[in-house]
Amino acid sequence: MTFSDWLTAARVHFPSLNERNSRPASPADVGYNCIAWAAEDSDRWWWPDAQEQYYWPTAVPRTETVEAFVMAFEDLGYIERTDASVELGMQKIAVFVGDQGKPTHAARQLPDGWWASKLGQQIDIEHELSAIQGAAYGHVAFVLGRVAVVSTGI
Amino acid sequence: MSSSDSQRRVPMRSNLPVVVGNLLMAVSAGASPQSMQLQQELGNLRIYYEFPASSIRDRRRERFSRLARQWREDTEWLSSTTVIAMHPAYQSIIGMGPEALPMILEDLRSNSGHWYWALKAISNEDPVPPSDRGAIRKMKSAWLRWAEQKGIFSNDVQRLADGSASPFSFAE
Repeated sequence: MTFSDWLTAARVHFPSLNERNSRPASPADVGYNCIAWAAEDSDRWWWPDAQEQYYWPTAVPRTETVEAFVMAFEDLGYIERTDASVELGMQKIAVFVGDQGKPTHAARQLPDGWWASKLGQQIDIEHELSAIQGAAYGHVAFVLGRVAVVSTGI
Repeated sequence: MSSSDSQRRVPMRSNLPVVVGNLLMAVSAGASPQSMQLQQELGNLRIYYEFPASSIRDRRRERFSRLARQWREDTEWLSSTTVIAMHPAYQSIIGMGPEALPMILEDLRSNSGHWYWALKAISNEDPVPPSDRGAIRKMKSAWLRWAEQKGIFSNDVQRLADGSASPFSFAE
């Protein structure tokens, strides 16, 4: 399947998505989800489910609320409320909420201002932030930032 | 002997349930133990002809496949395992009860997917240690190992869970 074919299927859920505002990043993998991907963890599926079957930071309430998601990312050092602009030396994540105010998705900002997203059990893409807003994921509820972790290469 | 006599002596298979039903009606309450046994055997025969087990299994499997396909199509883009598990098709599969377990486990083995809520809800067990929460490959292996220990399906599950047997691969 080409990315163009994939986009045709994806547009059922994300009508704004197209080849100008998105690009493929890595193949489908059921091993992790968008929250994990935003947290740079590709080994676990993160979710605060009541059944306690999925990973969630132990110090954070296991509730599907904006507050719990803020705390989960604060746990990773994302402590500053900010906007979606590119700021030198700053890493950012954006959390989406649906119609009922519950978190649905998270994306991580890339150096070029686009965002990295894992779409459920589907592929990872890089995209403009607005490209995946809509009925499926809702809208961006908040953006958090932290000082960029710079690799020394050692 | 006329052709109509011959038909009465050797009932056609399609007429057999009716014949057995009539015989059952003829055996009344208060009959001898032998008659009661005959009634039981005739009842079993009727069930055999009217509801073959293979047909029941096929209908269950067909229903499971339809529900699982619908669930996958509707939830593959979602991250919330709560929303994924609350999908009506998924809840219908949970409603099938223990008979759904082998089909869920076969599907888990072949396709992966978030079957963990359903497995826990139906079996009232959870073989995944807390340290492996969210580690999908380990969760899958733990459940397939559990299935093997319970004898829920064939004993090659353990080798499959370890990724050492074909045709299934655990590299997602």
